[in-house]
Amino acid sequence: MAQVIVVTSGKGGVGKTTTSAALATGLAQRGKKTVVIDFDVGLRNLDLIMGVERRVVFDIVNVIQGEARLSQALIRDKRVENLSILPASQTRDKDALTKEGVAEIIEELGKDFDYILCDSPAGIEKGALLALYFADQAIIVTNPEVSSVRDSDRILGVLQSKSKRAEEKREKVKEHLLVTRYDAGRVERGEMLKLEDVREILAIPLLGVIPESESVLKASNTGTPVIMDAESVAGQAYKDAVGRFLGDELPHRFLDPEKKPGILKRLFGGRAA
Amino acid sequence: MSQTLPETFRLRAGNFNLLVLRLLDPRPEAVLPALGDQFRRAPGFLRFAPIVIGLGDLEASPEEVDFRALIEGLHALEIVPIGTSGGQPAMRQAAQAAGLPPLRAMGGRDAEELPGPAAAPEPAAAPLPPPAESGRPSLVVTEPVRSGQRIYAAGADLVVTATVNPGAEVIADGHVHVYGALRGRAVAGARDNPEARVFALNFDPELIAIAGFYAVREQLGDAASGRPTQVWLEGEELRFGPLG
Repeated sequence: MAQVIVVTSGKGGVGKTTTSAALATGLAQRGKKTVVIDFDVGLRNLDLIMGVERRVVFDIVNVIQGEARLSQALIRDKRVENLSILPASQTRDKDALTKEGVAEIIEELGKDFDYILCDSPAGIEKGALLALYFADQAIIVTNPEVSSVRDSDRILGVLQSKSKRAEEKREKVKEHLLVTRYDAGRVERGEMLKLEDVREILAIPLLGVIPESESVLKASNTGTPVIMDAESVAGQAYKDAVGRFLGDELPHRFLDPEKKPGILKRLFGGRAA
Repeated sequence: MSQTLPETFRLRAGNFNLLVLRLLDPRPEAVLPALGDQFRRAPGFLRFAPIVIGLGDLEASPEEVDFRALIEGLHALEIVPIGTSGGQPAMRQAAQAAGLPPLRAMGGRDAEELPGPAAAPEPAAAPLPPPAESGRPSLVVTEPVRSGQRIYAAGADLVVTATVNPGAEVIADGHVHVYGALRGRAVAGARDNPEARVFALNFDPELIAIAGFYAVREQLGDAASGRPTQVWLEGEELRFGPLG
């Protein structure tokens, strides 16, 4: 049985699509057959982050409306085996998505894939509700900042009441917290919420902490999921998160602002040490 | 007419804890001396206290009970009977004819029907409040109450064993207990019960209301300390005090 995982946050701009691209790539690198679906119909982005925007012919709306077969719309990633992308439509709006249509797509994908990642749009309206409806697991992407934490809290409540599992009163959706854009220096200066504060309010297990990193923007602009950049701390942190998701026991890294001078010291001050 | 008349009354529901005098013997001349004896041993205990006459344990016909004599005798002992509880319809009617209306216990169950120890209250060394009714319903929530969620315990207390997050609302017709951090809104005594309270282990709410009287965070000042706190209503003012 394929696992359906929604990547969601409530708030926009916190890193859902970056995370979807990184985790999907990471799962595929670990040999899991993975497909990632862009639910942000009208504001299609995932294809850009995954670097497949020039290969999009059909999209999820075409499939739902019977204009294309699912196999025609799926884009196979050229760099990583086992990875496919189902893009969103840029020219339609979220009303083009239907619950029945999405159900059919997920059922069909479930025959071929181990993991189906649903990259949710921001908000708590139709697109976001459909992205989380079929989820077995949820990755809650949160920035260490009050409005992001509150929106994540809200989306957790929606998951508990509006997902298919909640409606059918089955075992509840498994929740994971992923804190992104974590800047340990700014946390120390009191400009950002502490990890403990975020965890205390959201009260769900921590999958990982992705440090703020310039490599994320660079990765987005070049269409390379940041997890493929082994030099980048964000890439390493995503790799750890994928490992934890698959059951590896890994300590959380990059929580400490001392790390930065540490790296510089290693590069320039090695002899003095 | 733009001139409004001064307000002369307000009608509000109230819940009260009352002692129940469960009659085992229909004869006032048998009950009153024993009762008087017990009350003399606990001086000051329940002087002029309102009391409910429990009829459920009484094995007698309505004709055998002289309610008027009983009422008179209780008044002489400085006890004020205000109504009856339990018993057969004919018995209740007889009591009502004598000026004691039937009362319904909270939660739809008569205190009469609950198993209890002795019929009359044991003489207490110190005046103790009457025991809370064990049948009182409550709603228990063990998951965090999240932003945008609203939980209402209708006709009941609400017990939350996790946190109530900012943007969440917990409402009860009875008390609200939060055994975590209370960071959202809490409303107790939602149907105008001024006796209801809010209890929280970590008191840091956005809004507190009891029986319609409320305070927003800005008005709470130091009361929203994050410490264990209870809130109750005194007249029309919210009061805050430490827990434990």
